[in-house]
Amino acid sequence: MTIDFYWRLPTHGCHDSLRHSAYNRGDWSPPGPHNIAPGFDRNSADDGFRYIDHLAEIAKAAESAGFIGGLIPSFPNTDDPWVISPLLARETSSFRFMIAFQPGFLDPVHAARMAASLQRATGGRTVFNIITGGGGPSQLWWGDGFSHDDRYGRTTEFLNVFKGVWNGGNFSYDGRFYSVAGEGLSPLLAAEELPEIWFSGSSDAALQSAAKHADYYLSWLEPFDQLTEKFARVKERTAALGGEQKCAVRVDLVARATEEEAWRDIRIGFENVPDERRAQLRGPTDSVGAARQQALRPSEARRFDELIVAPNLWGGFNLLRGGPALGIVGSYEQCAARLDDLIARGTDAFILAGTPHLEEAYRIGEEVLPLLGRESAALLRAAE
Amino acid sequence: MTIQTYWQLDVAAQPARSEPSARPQAGMIFRDVRTRAINRYDYYAQIAQAAAQTAFDGLFLPHRPEADDSAIVAAVIAREVPRLTLIPEFPASIGSAVYAAKQAVSFQRATHDRLGWAIAPAADAEALDRTEEFLTVARGVHGTRPFSFSGTHFEVQGGGFEAPLNRVPFPRVFLHGESEEALALSARAADVHLFGAAPVTHLRSLIEGLDGLAAERGRSVAFGVIQSVLVREDHDEALHEAERAGVPAATIVGDYDAVAARLAELAGIGIGHFVLGAPASLEEAYHVGQHLLPRLRALTGRVCAAA
Repeated sequence: MTIDFYWRLPTHGCHDSLRHSAYNRGDWSPPGPHNIAPGFDRNSADDGFRYIDHLAEIAKAAESAGFIGGLIPSFPNTDDPWVISPLLARETSSFRFMIAFQPGFLDPVHAARMAASLQRATGGRTVFNIITGGGGPSQLWWGDGFSHDDRYGRTTEFLNVFKGVWNGGNFSYDGRFYSVAGEGLSPLLAAEELPEIWFSGSSDAALQSAAKHADYYLSWLEPFDQLTEKFARVKERTAALGGEQKCAVRVDLVARATEEEAWRDIRIGFENVPDERRAQLRGPTDSVGAARQQALRPSEARRFDELIVAPNLWGGFNLLRGGPALGIVGSYEQCAARLDDLIARGTDAFILAGTPHLEEAYRIGEEVLPLLGRESAALLRAAE
Repeated sequence: MTIQTYWQLDVAAQPARSEPSARPQAGMIFRDVRTRAINRYDYYAQIAQAAAQTAFDGLFLPHRPEADDSAIVAAVIAREVPRLTLIPEFPASIGSAVYAAKQAVSFQRATHDRLGWAIAPAADAEALDRTEEFLTVARGVHGTRPFSFSGTHFEVQGGGFEAPLNRVPFPRVFLHGESEEALALSARAADVHLFGAAPVTHLRSLIEGLDGLAAERGRSVAFGVIQSVLVREDHDEALHEAERAGVPAATIVGDYDAVAARLAELAGIGIGHFVLGAPASLEEAYHVGQHLLPRLRALTGRVCAAA
């Protein structure tokens, strides 16, 4: 048995170091001589590169460094994974495109056609990260007025229809959110493998929906005991429904040759966090996962080491960039040991990330992944 | 006028070509070393290259529910043809108009603004209404912030894109359909209305009608035609090929000069966008691109100079 390690394509720009907050890769900060994709040519004119050119570099780095693919996140101010994936399909060969999307935004029959077409274009390299939570003002921005628990009901129905039409033939469905009369993918499209489905969401409604449809239940990193308990609960609930649930973790790493170097980057990054970033983090959310992370209160910390919640576990990543708060910081060996610990606690797959995403894909792939499994290999063997 | 020429990449045409599952399975004398990695998308990319190398301005990808999704195909080939405009056709029933606009923005950002939108003709009044709301909302969130809308099919509150997503133009919108309702919708919402192939006199009256409808609303709509062509060096050869190949009824068949003259006549009545197509998409792209387009451009250049 082996474990799938995914990388991440940052869809909101990237920066060349966690030490600084300016996103100088991509055009999320004002153009200047230190920006790339787009950048300046020698005459300070637009050099013609676009952010997709940098994403292509990251995808190829991840592919080359041993990652099976990458998560492509989706938020109001990011580029879109349904567009990025086909744009990069023919420049990659084994990289799997994990498309994050909210089912409510697409008609399920159309989504099935798009997905099957992308499967054909990539030789079956499409993976879904189904997102349902989030919400509040952001949901209305997207034009989605459903309440939190309704959205999970809709996700379940979406996947019922998506899988139903994928079987081809005449599929009919009459649900609360979707009704379909005698539709199905053509034999050409239906011949493709259904994309693997990764599911996120921490609420009870999410867990119920995941139990029915998910291949992997995906969580942000949480304190290890809390995560162990969560995965055990997910696996138990799915087993009660007669299924088997694999669990996965998304986690950022700062891995350096020595632990001191790793914490030094964190300290400098922490000291450079702009005040407005701290203020932003105090805003409301109706995502249960986001609320669990905010309980760490990184925006109130005065020193970076107040946020060390366990050995090699730092709770201030959301100060340095958008996304979850907890991440792993340490030497290559320490990072590998923490990942091994997570494997021992029931993690079946990972989405890793580090900044800058291009260079760190090589670093993690070359320095950390090969160290894994010294402890967990024995556990995996015992389990088989 | 400067005409725009698009080649039609019909994903459903010649379905067996470059389709791994359609290869001969056994009993062949030739050693077949093709892997499944060589597939239909290589063929799409090849058609795109053919169109690019023969100086078309873009590709038009009709919506074919039974075959690959046109927007996915457009994105897959986009980076290999860095100059071509890509116009996938899709129905307005694909989902959220906000999400469609967001995807369009990503496409524009990645391709130096080379996306066009062709919305498939609506089948009934409800679909027509959805198409109009779809365009209103997509253009709304693209151009306005905050944007709010409450309609029959879509609802948005506080929408609209922030920098850097608000820096690209909205894709040019192509609508088609010949019904009175479809023409009225184009008058309100199309950038370009595409007519089906028809006699010049008929097209002229349609153009005048739509021009008038748009003017009533203070708008102007550009005109195009979706026209199947079959051209060869000499007339009889083209006719012979058309008989053998079985072309659509309204196909213009003839030698290079004659067909160029017919199309130039359309340019003369105000048609500026030519979506040209033929059953064999790759091979005919070369006939049309190498021989017909230079003649058509020369003729329409003269039309322009005379005016």
